[in-house]
Amino acid sequence: MAGAYILGIETSCDETAASVVYSGERLVSNVVFSQIAAHQPYGGVVPELASREHLKAIVPVVRKALADASQTYHSIDALAVTQGPGLAGALLVGIGYAKALAFALDKPLIAVNHLEGHIHAVLLEERQKNNREMSFPVLALVVSGGHTHLYLAEQQDEHWSYQNIGHTRDDAAGEAFDKVAKLLGLGYPGGPIIDKLSPHGDPTAVKFAPSQLKHRDRKDNGDPVAGSRFDFSYSGIKTSVLRYVERHDMEASIESRRKALSKMEKPALEDYLLHCDRQTLNLVASFQRALVGDLITKTLAAARACNAATLFVTGGVAANNELRRRFEQDATMEGLPAYFPSRPLSTDNAAMIAAAAYPKFLAGEFATMDFSAEAGMVLR
Amino acid sequence: MATQEFITHSAEETIALGRTLGGMLAPPKLVLLRGDLGAGKTTLVKGIAEAFQAASAEDVTSPTFTLVHEYRGPQANLYHIDLYRIDTPRQLETLGLDDLITNNSILLIEWGEKFARFERERDVEIALERLDDRLGQRSSEPASNQGSEDSAENARRIRITTT
Repeated sequence: MAGAYILGIETSCDETAASVVYSGERLVSNVVFSQIAAHQPYGGVVPELASREHLKAIVPVVRKALADASQTYHSIDALAVTQGPGLAGALLVGIGYAKALAFALDKPLIAVNHLEGHIHAVLLEERQKNNREMSFPVLALVVSGGHTHLYLAEQQDEHWSYQNIGHTRDDAAGEAFDKVAKLLGLGYPGGPIIDKLSPHGDPTAVKFAPSQLKHRDRKDNGDPVAGSRFDFSYSGIKTSVLRYVERHDMEASIESRRKALSKMEKPALEDYLLHCDRQTLNLVASFQRALVGDLITKTLAAARACNAATLFVTGGVAANNELRRRFEQDATMEGLPAYFPSRPLSTDNAAMIAAAAYPKFLAGEFATMDFSAEAGMVLR
Repeated sequence: MATQEFITHSAEETIALGRTLGGMLAPPKLVLLRGDLGAGKTTLVKGIAEAFQAASAEDVTSPTFTLVHEYRGPQANLYHIDLYRIDTPRQLETLGLDDLITNNSILLIEWGEKFARFERERDVEIALERLDDRLGQRSSEPASNQGSEDSAENARRIRITTT
């Protein structure tokens, strides 16, 4: 089997990232230039701004990834780049750059699906720990700001195939975190803040009914195809938090918190705690408990129904402490080995793209120069 | 200017109304969707997308993170746009929404009322609001029943205004 140094490039959303990975099993360098600081005043990702930031960052980020790996443009064996899904303009920056580089260097170029990358982030780190014996099928929960997807993954020789068995019907889990954080005046990005505040509140204080976490846009009785799906819904719980805020007249205190925090450049946990009353902390803790519980319940139900042998939990929300802890506990109780990427590889990065490209490199699945960004790309 | 009002009692009914509404929309159109978080804007778009055979209801999801979701149908391209996080005209400019306005496109814009130009240019405005299920009171009024945070089968009032 041919070993290969692959340079991965990822620009699908927030991060401009480049990385060198050896044969999908050893992370040699990993550079992530986060644009969160640039986005913060806008409370989210703004596509054109994202593209402009990617343009500024991509050359130095790639250079640093090569230098950190003691590699050069000429010494690498292949390039890999994210094709989709993501923001079209942002994806195009990475694709355009990767194409030019591959053409100039006369190296093979591999197009990778971002979601497949998240799954391979787990594999890369397990191989690095010398764990090469994965039992199939693998059930992978990819959970982030834009995605809440369940894939059943199989491997045949070098070829990986994926079956989507569930996704969100409305809001992604990370989006719910972001929206709840914003409506409580906690700023952006919301997930890490809610994660940090939750241990300071009572997670049993506010009850969210299970019906608020149920999608209601289809009568799925008796339909075998629908019956085998494990879909999520996080729009209802967001509405419940909003209603709770309205009913308990929390608007004024939220507004003063929002104002106070927006004046600080980088609020610390103490600053957040200082501006959060007990009621808010309890609400935050209860929200996280309910959302995490729902992700776990549905994922484990899917694992049982599909006879999954291994569980992967990956994507930005996989960095959430409560999610990791409870997934580990509950999956272990069912005798299901559960794997997570380390925190740096949970959020968007290019190592996962370089890792996912390696089987394609071995199979000779190279991209032609006319391929383009696919904003709504599906993983199969 | 004509206004029609509908009450739906479930997500299913809101989707069904979206389907009916979709049948009445011919491109090009600029449609503003107004309503608070959780008012049912994305749910209504599910029905509209089905009417245009552009996507099935289950595949229409919130565009908050991605800002623009595109659904291509045989007769029209639907653009579901969410300006929830867009605050200044400059940010709006950089989105390039003008490039999406063509003869066979329908723009469905959430939080478009933040910008005066959409108030002027809109062909249709759809205002959605949550109603308290039993009392028929506005959701912003304090509810008497503290224990019920359950909004499962809440009714929606949907007002459609055309120019």
